Amino acid sequence: MDWYPLLNSLRVAAIASVAVFFTGIAAAHYIARLPRAVKGVLDVALTLPLVLPPTVVGFLLLRLLGPRHPLSSWVWDTFGVRLTMQWWSAVFAVAVVVFPLMYRTARGAFESFDERLAQAARTLGRSNTYVFWRIRMPCCRQGLIAGAVLSFARAIGEYGATSMVAGYTPGKTATVATEVYQLWRIGDNETAIRWVAVNIAISAVVLLAVNLLEKRERNR
Amino acid sequence: MKRIVCLLAALGLVLCLNACGKTAQETPEEKTEITVFAAASMTETLQEIKTRYEAEHQDVELVFTFDSSGTLKTQIMEGAVCDLFISAAPKQMNELEEAGLLAQDSRIDLLENKVALCLAPEGGAAIASFDDLAQALAGGEILFAMGNADVPVGQYTQKIFAYYGIDEAAVSGSITYGSNVKEVVTAIVEGTADCGVIYATDAAAANLTPVDTATAEMCGQVIYPAAVLAAAPQGAAARAFLDYLATAPAAEVFTAAGFTALG
Repeated sequence: MDWYPLLNSLRVAAIASVAVFFTGIAAAHYIARLPRAVKGVLDVALTLPLVLPPTVVGFLLLRLLGPRHPLSSWVWDTFGVRLTMQWWSAVFAVAVVVFPLMYRTARGAFESFDERLAQAARTLGRSNTYVFWRIRMPCCRQGLIAGAVLSFARAIGEYGATSMVAGYTPGKTATVATEVYQLWRIGDNETAIRWVAVNIAISAVVLLAVNLLEKRERNR
Repeated sequence: MKRIVCLLAALGLVLCLNACGKTAQETPEEKTEITVFAAASMTETLQEIKTRYEAEHQDVELVFTFDSSGTLKTQIMEGAVCDLFISAAPKQMNELEEAGLLAQDSRIDLLENKVALCLAPEGGAAIASFDDLAQALAGGEILFAMGNADVPVGQYTQKIFAYYGIDEAAVSGSITYGSNVKEVVTAIVEGTADCGVIYATDAAAANLTPVDTATAEMCGQVIYPAAVLAAAPQGAAARAFLDYLATAPAAEVFTAAGFTALG
């Protein structure tokens, strides 16, 4: 069995999860400080990909990254690189779809953080950076890690936007999800079932990890 | 205050839903609904024929599902409700016939189409014919869009590959597969692929000029058979519509789009 789709899925999911981990936390941190109205609007905008069908997200991404549109033309002229139909085009699609998950989890974690700890630290003369990295982040660790793991699990399962932005080129842009679809379409049910089993196994392991993390935190 | 806002929002929602309902109002009489599964390449022509047919037959409503003939065949075999099936290749129709799913003596060869090679507009790929395509694929410099092995246009492309002795597996790194012909058309039009193989009728509909058309030698004749299903709930009405598709007014619409009417 050609294992490329699995490697590609894991690679794309890992990169997207890392990107989303940092951007989600940053967004959650800064947006919490904004005035109410702006916060509300931004919140809706950033959570939208979670509730939009992935095909809608894919369509919008193609408007942005497609070869006949300004951004992509500029990239093509400057770097000679095409933004769609590469294995890393899927990273854009996956990151956009998965971002709200990390953002909301991070927001939840930060909101349940006891502000008095931060204030106490500042009265003791610690800088904002110190407070963020050494006090806020460790205290919210459980929520953030859960968010990261959930994002990764969702990232592996992304199909709609990925198939529109990266297409399906066996050995180059195929992911587990697009591979299963193509195998089903051409009637190769045997191989499709094997991939389904692989996907279930990975997702089960990931969710098990989330549960173990939660259990460990509760017993702390 | 909050309660008033909630009440107003609920009222607004009810009014909106009511308005939606009103625009879809049907005439009181029962309309005969004919379900037609047709190859994606027939989207534009059948939509036009629907307008004409429904104008002449006020008691009939045509409901279309357009997709790859392979997908539609699978759906029919898995029990989807369908009155009339029009496939882009004899293969899918043959499979249904062998499974005993077609109504007696209802199958006809309706249309002929041509398979064409098209380039992405403003693309710049130096391909002028199928011969050039063979070389470019071997060289790995281009991204080529085609239907997958379940899609008739993909199957015709595979025959063209066989004709040129191209090993599909060897060049698969340069190919992106679509699950129906319209997906391939989109890839070409959007420029996400450099070139692709679609039907001449789809090229015309998308304002693409083909650089080369496949001959019967390369991929065989591109015949579109049509048949009524044995389990059709509206078999008689479906046969009537199929007969209409073989008449001159319908043939006019098909020919204008680039098909050859065989009926």
